[in-house]
Amino acid sequence: MEHGEGDSPTAAEKKGAAEEDDFGYRLFPDRNKKPQSFLVRSLFTFHNRCQVMLRMTLETNPYAQLLLEAMKQSGCTVFNDRHFSCENCDGCVSGGFDAATSQAGIVLCQNNIRQQSHMNRVVTHELIHAFDHCRAHVDWFKNVKHLACSEIRAANLSGDCTLMNEIARFKFGLKGHHQICVRDRAIRSILAVRKISKETAEKAVDEVFDACFNDLEPFGRIPHSKADARRAYRDFQNRHRYNANL
Amino acid sequence: QPPRPCEDYWGEWKHCRGLRHAFHHYYAHGELPSCGRWREDYEACRAWERHRAAAAQVPPGLLRHSPAARGCSYGEGYAPVWTLRKRPPPDWYLPLDQDKPN
Repeated sequence: MEHGEGDSPTAAEKKGAAEEDDFGYRLFPDRNKKPQSFLVRSLFTFHNRCQVMLRMTLETNPYAQLLLEAMKQSGCTVFNDRHFSCENCDGCVSGGFDAATSQAGIVLCQNNIRQQSHMNRVVTHELIHAFDHCRAHVDWFKNVKHLACSEIRAANLSGDCTLMNEIARFKFGLKGHHQICVRDRAIRSILAVRKISKETAEKAVDEVFDACFNDLEPFGRIPHSKADARRAYRDFQNRHRYNANL
Repeated sequence: QPPRPCEDYWGEWKHCRGLRHAFHHYYAHGELPSCGRWREDYEACRAWERHRAAAAQVPPGLLRHSPAARGCSYGEGYAPVWTLRKRPPPDWYLPLDQDKPN
């Protein structure tokens, strides 16, 4: 399970090294449980709100629309009811991408996502993981470098590390601060779902940072705003013309 | 034909020289952007248009700029971390298995 956006669990939640790595599934206790009845679910406003916000993101947000189009072209059309689920999660996680066989899909933490802008970012972040899963042989569970690469890309391209978001986290910096943020968030995400040492996570991130920070698929640029994302979407749609002329 | 209409190169050059883009580039890369190549590509595109009948090929310079225009965004010169698939994952469309343990 790949931990999406949000803060990693506190130290109290980390288990001893003797236990098996649960790949972060402990954060998503409702995963793989039979869904509750429609009546029960409809009474819970968290679930409704999550569904409504998700729909708004998928229909109007240019980041998400570009990723959906890119995944469709890669052969992985995303269906709302199959590939997304709104669930209650533990801790402060906001979402995750489940890469297990027959389970591949995006989990959104309905109890932790409260604003549309947050939903936009989480969906974009997880769709980047899904896009990587679709286009490449990513060994999510055994190769920390692969996980690190996808986390770097997700932090880089989803808007997680915009200046305003960093200021809201009381992290201040300007010159090249985006890269510092991407590195830190990638390490935190890895530590949330893998029982490895911080040094191992840092080493993996540092080894693949240059290659993965500069892998801007499918955006072609680092989108710092919706306007950038719209520009990237337009370029992506015109790409068939570029390729035909090469 | 060049990979993009000439107006696109002009639009990218104008965007690149804007204050907002300069700020974001400085925030992301620690330096100010250099926009000269967009202008060069625009000039090359216009020159090709003017001499279309005479020119047999699109100037190679127009093909080099912007990985996005080449349909590829991989950082140049970096070894890829993973191998690309030839086909999408086979289980992408399979129904969810509710009883499967994690």
